[in-house]
Amino acid sequence: MPTSDSEDFESADEGHASPEKKERKKRLSSSNYSDNALETEQKPSNTKIKSENVQKVVEKVKDADGWDDFDIDDGETITPEPAAKSNTPEKTKTKPENVPSIAKDSKKSQDTGWDDFDDWGTEDVSADVQKVDPPKPQPVQSKPITRQPEPNIQEVTDRLAAASTGGSSGWGWGWSVDSLLSSATAGLSSATAGISNITSQVSQGLSTVLETGIGAPDPEELARRTSKDQEARVTKPDNAQKPTAAGDKLTVVGDEQTWPNTGPNDGANAGANAGDAFQFGSLFSGVTKFVETTGTKVIHGGLDTLETIGKKTMEVLQDGDPGLAKKRALLGLGAGDKPVLSQVLREAKAKAEEDDRVREEKREAKEVHYENLFDDFEGLVHLEALEMLSKQVSMRIEERIRSVDADKRQDIKETLQQVAELCEMPEEDEDDEESPSEDLSKSDAFLERLQTATQDLGLKLQFQPLVKQYKEILDYISTVDSETPIKTLYKRGVSTLAQSTALSVEQYHKAAEMLLVKSRRSTADEADALTQMTVVLTKHISELATLFTEKLNALPSDNKEQVNTYITNLFLEAGNSSTYIQNAFQLALPILQIGAV
Amino acid sequence: MVDPIFDYQFRLILIGDSTVGKSSLLKYFTDGKFAELSDPTVGVDFFARIIEVQDGTRIKLQLWDTAGQERFRSITKSYYRNSVGALLVYDVCNRSSFEHIPLWMMEAKRHIEPHRPVFALVGCKVDLVGTDNKNGARREVTCEEARMFAEENGLHHVETSAKTGLNVEEAFVLVAQEVYNRIQTGEYKVEDGWDGIKTGFNRPNGMDFNLLEAETVQSTCC
Repeated sequence: MPTSDSEDFESADEGHASPEKKERKKRLSSSNYSDNALETEQKPSNTKIKSENVQKVVEKVKDADGWDDFDIDDGETITPEPAAKSNTPEKTKTKPENVPSIAKDSKKSQDTGWDDFDDWGTEDVSADVQKVDPPKPQPVQSKPITRQPEPNIQEVTDRLAAASTGGSSGWGWGWSVDSLLSSATAGLSSATAGISNITSQVSQGLSTVLETGIGAPDPEELARRTSKDQEARVTKPDNAQKPTAAGDKLTVVGDEQTWPNTGPNDGANAGANAGDAFQFGSLFSGVTKFVETTGTKVIHGGLDTLETIGKKTMEVLQDGDPGLAKKRALLGLGAGDKPVLSQVLREAKAKAEEDDRVREEKREAKEVHYENLFDDFEGLVHLEALEMLSKQVSMRIEERIRSVDADKRQDIKETLQQVAELCEMPEEDEDDEESPSEDLSKSDAFLERLQTATQDLGLKLQFQPLVKQYKEILDYISTVDSETPIKTLYKRGVSTLAQSTALSVEQYHKAAEMLLVKSRRSTADEADALTQMTVVLTKHISELATLFTEKLNALPSDNKEQVNTYITNLFLEAGNSSTYIQNAFQLALPILQIGAV
Repeated sequence: MVDPIFDYQFRLILIGDSTVGKSSLLKYFTDGKFAELSDPTVGVDFFARIIEVQDGTRIKLQLWDTAGQERFRSITKSYYRNSVGALLVYDVCNRSSFEHIPLWMMEAKRHIEPHRPVFALVGCKVDLVGTDNKNGARREVTCEEARMFAEENGLHHVETSAKTGLNVEEAFVLVAQEVYNRIQTGEYKVEDGWDGIKTGFNRPNGMDFNLLEAETVQSTCC
C-alpha cells in the first residue's frame, strides 16, 4: 500500500525531531507555560512534515510495506509509559492519511480540527475523543470508493481512538495526540472511504501542484499522456473501482515520477476523458481542497511559528530570571533608565540639541545682539571703510618716509610721534569741567559739547543722527514704567549702545574722508578736536549705559539675579562701545599724521 | 531693522558721475522712498538690503554708495577692492555721465583686480524723459546705444527711475543673481581677506559650494 510508505517516511522525520523535543520537555516541564509552548511549538513542524511527506510519498511509493505493522506500532505507543516518548513521532503517521480526508471534509470540520488543536491546552482530552467517536457524515464528494470499508482502516481508527485516550497521560506526545484527534475528527469519517486510496491520490496531486509551482510545467502534454493512460486502463465501468483504484493510483503516481510537471488540470482532464473514472473527479476536487487547506495551514503555521519563536525566546530569556531583571542588569539597562538603543540615541540627540541651544543662546546674548546690531547700524562697515583708508594712508606715509633722505626722515618720524601724542586720551579728571546751562535739554547739551569739541576741526560733521537718537532714547526712558518688561528694556539698551557706537564710528569715518580731501590742514587742531570728540562720545556711551541700568534697577522685579545679569551685560557692552570708538579714533590717526608730513 | 538671516553677503559698489542719482537709486531700493533733494555724498555711504535669488537663497546686499564728486575720487578708489559687483550709473539725461562710463569701468576693473566683478550699466532718471521740458530734461542717451555698449562690454543694462521705482529692484537683483550664478559655477569663492562675498552669520562654518545644486539661471536685460 502506498500510504504506509509515506507514513514510514514521516515517522523517520518525526523521529529526527523527537530527541530535541524530549530535551525541551525535560527542561521546561516545571511550568505550565512551557507545556503550552511545547504544544504550540509542534504545530509548525506538523505542517511542515505533512507537506514534506506528501512530496516524498511519490518517491517511496514502490515500497508497499507494513501498513499493519505501523498500526501495531501505534498500538504499542498507546501504552502510557515513559519510554513511549521515543515512539511519539510514529503517531503522526496517521496524519498524511488524515490530511486528504480533511481536505474532503467541509470547511467547518477543518476549523473544528484547528480549534481543537489551538485549544488543546485548556480542553479536556476526553471531549476531543468524544467528538471523534461518532461516525461523521460522509464527505460531500462521496464516491464509490468511499463505500468500500477497509478492515485495515477500521483497525487503524479504533487504535487511534485508543491512542488519543491514552495520549492524555503524557505531555510529550500531547501534541501528536492533539493533531491526531483533530485529524481524526475529520479523518474517521472518511476512514470508511478508503483512506489509502484517497491519500495517494491527493498526495500525487499535491506533489504535482507543488512541482508545478516550482518548476516549468508542461501540463498539456502531461495531460495528454495521462489521459492516454487513463483511456487504456479505464475500460471497465466504475463498479470495479476498488481494485482499479489502487492500480490507477499507482500508475498515476508512476506517471508522476516521469512527468513531474503534471498540473491539477491533469486530473481534471483525466476525469473528463474517462468520465466513468470517478476517483479522478474526486481527485481533482480533493486536490483543490487539499491545496486550499494546506495553504491555510501553512499560513497559520507560519504565524504560529513566529509566535512560538517569540514566546520561546522570552521563555528562554526568562528562564530562572523572572522579569529579566538579571539580564537587564547585565546589559546595563537599569530600571527602565535607558532601555533601548534608540532611546539612548534619542536622548543623546536631545542633549546635543540642548547644548546647541544653550550655546546659541549664549552666542545670541553675547554676539548677535550687540555685534549684529552694530553691523545692522552700519557701524562695522564704517569701521571697515575707515580701516581701508587708514591702511592706504599709512602706506603713503611709509612711502614718503622712504622717499626722503635720512635727516628728513627723522623729522618726519618725530612729527608723526608728536601727532600720536596729541591723540592720546586725556586722563578723566575733567568730569565737572563744563556744566551745561540748565536751559539746554540733555540732547542739545550733547550737541553743544560735540560742536565745541570739534570746532577746530574745520569740518562740517553731521551730528544730527547722534543727537536725534539721543532724544529718542531719552523719550523712551521717560515712558518706561513698572509695566515695562525688564527684557525689553535690556534689549533696547543694547540696541541703543550699538546704534550710538555705529553713529560715532561713522563720525570718525566721515571726518577721515573729509580731512583727506581738505585743502589746508592744521594737524594739531585736528588732533585735539578729534581727541575731544572721542572724550565726548565715550562719555555719552557711559551715560547711556547708566541711563538704562538705573532704569533696570528701579523696575520692580522678582528676578533680581536676571536684572543684575542684564546690568552687567549693559556695562560690558558699553565698554565694548568705548573700545570701538577709540579704535576708530586710532584708525584716524594716520589721516591726521599725513596732514603734517 | 534688517532681518539678520541670510546665506550670503555680496558687496556691491555704485560708481558714476556726481548727481547721476546713485544715492537716490539706493534710497529707493532700501527705503522705497524718493528724496527730491539730497546732500552730495561724502566719501562713501552704506545701504543694505536682503533679497532672494531665484532658488530662494537669501542674499544680503551691502551697497557702497560712493561720492561721485571729483574731489573724493582718490578716497573712493580705496573702496573698490572688496566689491564683487559694480553698478555703473549714468543719467539718461546727461550725455557726459554716460560718456564717462568707460572710465569708471576701467577704474573699477583696475582696483578690483584680481577679482572680476559683475558689472551692470544702470541708466537713471528715465522718469524725466518725455515729461515736460521745463527742466530742460531731455533724453541724451538712447536705450539702444546704452544696450549696444553693454553688449560690447558684456554688461547687463537696465534703465531705472528712483522716482517711480521703475526697474530699481531689477537692477540690483540682476547683479545679485549673476554673482550668485558665478558662485554656483565655482568662478567666485568665499575667500579670506576678501569681503566681496561672505557667508551669512547663520552659516558659521561656511559652505561647500560644490555641494550646492548647480543651477543655470539666465539673467535677462531690459
